[in-house]
Amino acid sequence: MTDHWADRLSEYVDGELRLQDAQALEAHLASCPTCKAVLVDLRRVSARARALDDTPPVADLWPGIARAIGVVAAAPARSGRRLTFSVPQLLAASITLIAVSGGAVWFTTHRGVPPTVIEHVPTAAVMGATASWTGAAPYAAAIAELDSALQEGRKAGRLDTATIGVLERNLTIIDSAIAQAQRAVLADPGSAYLNQHLAETMQRKLELLRGATSLAASRT
Amino acid sequence: MGNTAYTAPTFSGDTTTTAEAEAADVALAASGDGRAFERLYRAHVARVHSLVRRMINADVADDVTQDVFIRAWTKLSTFRGEAAFGTWLHRLAVNVILGRRTVLGTERARLTSSDVALEQVPGRDAPGRNELTIDFEAAIERLPDGARDVFVLHDIAGYKHEEIAMLLGIVPGTSKSQLHHARMALRRQLDR
Repeated sequence: MTDHWADRLSEYVDGELRLQDAQALEAHLASCPTCKAVLVDLRRVSARARALDDTPPVADLWPGIARAIGVVAAAPARSGRRLTFSVPQLLAASITLIAVSGGAVWFTTHRGVPPTVIEHVPTAAVMGATASWTGAAPYAAAIAELDSALQEGRKAGRLDTATIGVLERNLTIIDSAIAQAQRAVLADPGSAYLNQHLAETMQRKLELLRGATSLAASRT
Repeated sequence: MGNTAYTAPTFSGDTTTTAEAEAADVALAASGDGRAFERLYRAHVARVHSLVRRMINADVADDVTQDVFIRAWTKLSTFRGEAAFGTWLHRLAVNVILGRRTVLGTERARLTSSDVALEQVPGRDAPGRNELTIDFEAAIERLPDGARDVFVLHDIAGYKHEEIAMLLGIVPGTSKSQLHHARMALRRQLDR
């Protein structure tokens, strides 16, 4: 095939020809079965490519990546009682906190940053599902206890200004992440991914505070 | 610990909840949260691994995919949220792939002649080839590097020619030409 339109068929498929050129090509196609057949094939190739699925690797590559980037488990807290919460407990705590605060939820940062307020009215189904769980109080108490220990460490000068700054920035990020995750779960409570994400983010806040209080306690 | 370069993403009222959750994970990962980064890895590894497989080959796909995510971890502080995280990661992956391919020494001569491309990909009427359907992915792997890169980035990944030209260091006209060569080579594999 040597006609000068042959090399421009792909551009025509992608809608990249100028109007004048496209019209001229269409006039050519009306009398050139070869180019018409090629055009059909090019569209099929492009459609076939768009339909290809992405497939993950057979092996789980995460362990190797985690080792390479130095991701390690959080160190256990040295002082104070240690409370652990399951995923369902963390989720119920989050939703119950929303319910008892009259439709708004916030996490105070104690750091001079305005609290993040989300205006949401929990559905009756959500509130009913968590009405019998009393885990909200222990989670909130754990957060309050750890936060209090952190503030004590700060007042006693056991944590320097730079460390406090880093901790506050990270807690602000996590509080914002928790608020965003809560909003997402309330909008789509059936999503397993969003529920898991919220629970892990709340757990992350606990562990960050535990690490901070452990650091403060180690400098007595 | 700490992320002084984090820029909080802005959210419109109708932003998807999954996108917001991912933006939160990016922020957490940028502050050093390994579990948040693992969630990002699991959400995007299929797309990255498939890109590596198609632009290099399956033999080194696992290794290069790990390189991509390790690079992404070190570069997270540079992500400003102006594009979706997946878009940013994909572009980073392309750069890692191109760099790695040069190191591997598998760069073949860039296609300059459409006749050469047509001859290199066996047609369905080649001796011993009786299949009515073809392994499309295998056919893509057999394309010359230049044509394959453009075909994968344009027809599979959805990049525009201007973006492809910037990524590959060519001009948009060459990108269009390479795409056409790739399609013409692959059309011979189509079942009828």
